[in-house]
Order: sequence, then structure tokens, then C-alpha cells
Amino acid sequence: MAAGSSGGPGAPCRHHAQLGACESRAKYREGWRPRAVKVYTINLESRYLLIQGVPALGVMKELVEQFALYGAIEEYHALDEYPAEQFTEVYLIKFKKLQCARVAKKKMDERSFFGSLLHVCYAPEFETVQETREKLQDRRKYIAKATNQRDCFVLKKVEGPKKTASKNSEHDCPWSTSGSHVALDSDPAGFTSSHGVSHNTVYPSGNPNQSLLTSQHYDNSCAEISGYFGQNTSLTPSVHPGGHLPPAPLMQHRTVPAYNGIDRFMPRTTHLQERKRKREEGNKFSFIGTSEDNTEVVIGPQLPEIPKVDMDDESLNTSATLIRNKLKEVADSVSTTSVEKPESSSAKPLVKQRRRI
Amino acid sequence: MELGRLEYLQALVTEFQVTDSTGNKRRCSLSLSVSSVSSHTRRFSFAEAKEQVLANLANFAYDPSNYEYLRQLQVLDLFLDMLTEDNEALVEFAIGGLCNLCLDKINKEYILEANGVEPIINCLSSSNEETVVSAVTTLMFLTTPQSRAQTTALPVVECMLRFSLSANTRLSNLASIFLQDYCSPPQVEEARNLSKHTAVGIPLPKD
Repeated sequence: MAAGSSGGPGAPCRHHAQLGACESRAKYREGWRPRAVKVYTINLESRYLLIQGVPALGVMKELVEQFALYGAIEEYHALDEYPAEQFTEVYLIKFKKLQCARVAKKKMDERSFFGSLLHVCYAPEFETVQETREKLQDRRKYIAKATNQRDCFVLKKVEGPKKTASKNSEHDCPWSTSGSHVALDSDPAGFTSSHGVSHNTVYPSGNPNQSLLTSQHYDNSCAEISGYFGQNTSLTPSVHPGGHLPPAPLMQHRTVPAYNGIDRFMPRTTHLQERKRKREEGNKFSFIGTSEDNTEVVIGPQLPEIPKVDMDDESLNTSATLIRNKLKEVADSVSTTSVEKPESSSAKPLVKQRRRI
Repeated sequence: MELGRLEYLQALVTEFQVTDSTGNKRRCSLSLSVSSVSSHTRRFSFAEAKEQVLANLANFAYDPSNYEYLRQLQVLDLFLDMLTEDNEALVEFAIGGLCNLCLDKINKEYILEANGVEPIINCLSSSNEETVVSAVTTLMFLTTPQSRAQTTALPVVECMLRFSLSANTRLSNLASIFLQDYCSPPQVEEARNLSKHTAVGIPLPKD
């Protein structure tokens, strides 16, 4: 009965145990985040998420609010019997849609929450037979749809990949409506701020979780998520951009030119080299003392950029941005040489190379 | 310097072949750009690298957009080959990969043509929970009017009957679905009668 007693709901399952991250991956197979060696199948996924490591501070409401950012929650409760570390609690959250659970898991796993690191995992053992059946049927439907779609994609690809991408997102994919773009603008702070993070995940470790964001969006009702998809033109259902975007959201624009061949992905090392090359190019300009767009050039050691801190709250983020901008203004007025336009740094890659004093 | 998805998968397959000590002819023919890949792998054990690469490929098999490439690189054969390995991790990842890609029509036909059902059925007696769970799902996904006789053979149904009584919910759910949706009532009845006489069956997977 060894198999039995530990496989039922409420008991710890082997697949919940966090595997140690793999330390011995070959360079080209390394992703952005350390990962364990694990294969995800539909059997491991679930609308049920088990959240471990929640500090026992009566923060269920906050926890559920955090998770609700990723989609409608059908059910949630604390698992009192589930073995937990001291001063922590375990919660079970059931999403309406599997796709929402996927995104929530990805975003919330190993995230700090009230001073403690959450461990989020799928909990398929809480599914009923019917729920498991529906999950398998959904996967069946998705594959049928996706493989048909791939065929028409191949035909269209000839016209030009960029076009196809937008076509796919607007016509072929019912989940990407123009309305969902609007949803992104009024996005909750948590989602927007994790924008940069989510880009990181499109890397070639082959983990299905990564590919989910780009192709497994068969969920019509997750407006926020589909908004996110629709907005990113380089995503197509059949071809992964796979490219590595730099972690800082500010740097997004730099990588866009790299997508001229949309189906190419750039290994991380290549990407870093590319960035270095660009930076050096930029530095050349600053040493010469001219820049293409006539902005003044500043020479000297470059201070690290003020990191964009996510305050987990829209209003806090707004005030943080205000403070940051104010600091920038003050600093600029003190320095005689630099006249920094806050906008320019995000508009033109080269300007970013300028050195600050 | 950009590497396409196909090239990346090719590199994975190549690394897998290179680390494969048993490498047969077909595998050797796939080995390209060996030197660049193997220099990385020498630093740690080949077995480990092999598991990692197989897991990688199996995860790529989750995404339908990779199917064409995976077929081109004969990854389906690679998965099927690995089902008979002694290393449990390799079997787990290989059946996971098959489970991920076997819903696709072309892949399904390929696996059935290649006599893949038999080694998959053998996975049901594995002591690894993931392997068993993937195998049950794969058998369901592979069931077609033509393959039905094979995928729902009497020993399989008998096995599912036992799994459906398991306290492991994941396993019992899948087994119940298998019995309800893929087997006919007479089939289940026949298996039930048969299992009455055989008290000892295949052991349940360890947890």
C-alpha cells in the first residue's frame, strides 16, 4: 500500500518534492533560471495548484488576490493536514482554466511572499475522474487544432513571417482579440511588472512551461494573458522566437531587430556577445565624443542603472516611478554635461551607452 | 550566429548520440558537429548528460510546433528505443516524450507502425509512478479503431482494473477513464473474471 497512502489527495506526493536544480548542464542547454531535470506531461499539469511555504500570518486573502491576477479562481482553501514547515501553511487553489494555472505557477513559484519563498506545484491528485477526463480532452482538442494550424502556417510562412504572426494572432486565433489588448493596458501591477521576467522564460531548455506562453494559449477567457500574447508580434503558434531577451524590460527594444528571421532563436551566450558588441560600439561613439543623434556624450564610469523594483502594487509603483524620475531630474540639473531625456533611453539603444558621471 | 529551432534540436540529438555508448549505425549517421558539442559534455558523466538531453527533447515534444522537427530528427525512434533501457530515468523521460507527442495524427500512426504499443504496455509494470502514469495516458491517446485490439488487450484491461483501485488518485483516475472510455463493458467484465483467479498481479508503482 505504499503507493496508495501517499498518492491520495491531502497526502504529500512525490511529484511535489522540489527536485534539486541541475548543476551539470552543458552550456548551450542552460536556461536563465536553474532548473531540475524533469519532463512535463499533461498528467503532471492541473488546474489545482498547491502552494507551500505561505507564512502563517493569516494572509490567505492576500495570497488568493495574488493568484487571482492570473485568472479566475474556482476554489481555494488551506490544507491543514498537509505537512508544512514550521510557521508556514499550505494552500490549495483551483483555477477555472488550466492555462491560468500554468501562468500562475510560473509566475508565483519561488516568489517571495511576506518574507517567505513560495513553492507552487500542480496538484493533479485533487482532480476528480471527470476533471482528469476533461483535461485530457482539452489536450486532445488543442493538439488537433494546433496541428491543423501548423499546416496553414507553413503555407503562409512564405509570404513573410512577420505578417503571419500578426495574422495568426488576429484572425486564426480566437483567443487574441483586440479587446484583450486593452486589457493589458489596465493590467494589474503584478502582471505588467513581470513582463520582463516572462520574456526570460522563452529559452531553449525545452521545458513545456516555456513554450506555453508562446503556443499553448488555448484559453479564450484569460484576457490578460491573451492580451500579453497578442501584443507580442514575434510570437507565432508554430514557430518559437526562442530568442533570449535580456532580463531588464528596458532592453526589450534592442532585441527586436534580432527577429528579422523570426524562426531563429539565439542562444544566450550569442545574445550576450551581441549585447557586448553593441555596447562596445556605443562606447566607441562616446570616446570619439560624437553621437549620431547629437545628444551630448558623457565619459566616465557608468553607474549601474537604478533597478526597476516591483512594489507589487500599482499605486506604489507609480509613486516609486515618480520618486525615481525626481531623483533623475535632480541629478541631471547638478551635472553640467548631461541633459538626459528620460524618454530617449528607451527609444534609442545607442543613447543608453552614454556614460554618466 | 543565430541558431534555429531545428539546429538546436539537432544539437540535442547529436549530443544524445555522442553520449550513447551503444550507438548503432543510424545514430552515427546523425552525428554532426560532434566536436563542438562533446567538449561540453566531457566535464560530467555521459549518463547524466543523456538523461538531461532526453528530458529536454521530451519537453520539446510537448509543443506541437516542434513535431515536424522531431520527426525529421527521428526523435520518435529515439524515444521508442529508450523504452527498453535499464535506466529508469531514461524510460520515464522517453515515455513522457511519447505521451507528449502521440496525440498528433502523424506521430500516432508512426508509433503504431513502429510497433510501439508493446514496449509502452511493458511500461505499465514499472515501479516508477511517472512512467506508469505516462504509459496509461499514452495508451489512451494511441487508441484508434485499428489499434484498439492491441491497446486494450486483456492483460492491459486487467492491469487498469487494479490501477483503478489504487489509492494513488492520479493513477486511479486515469485507469478509470481508460476503463470507462476506451474499453467495452464486456471487455472489463472479462478482465474482472480473469483477475478473480489470479491473486498476485504486477506490483503497483512505488511512490
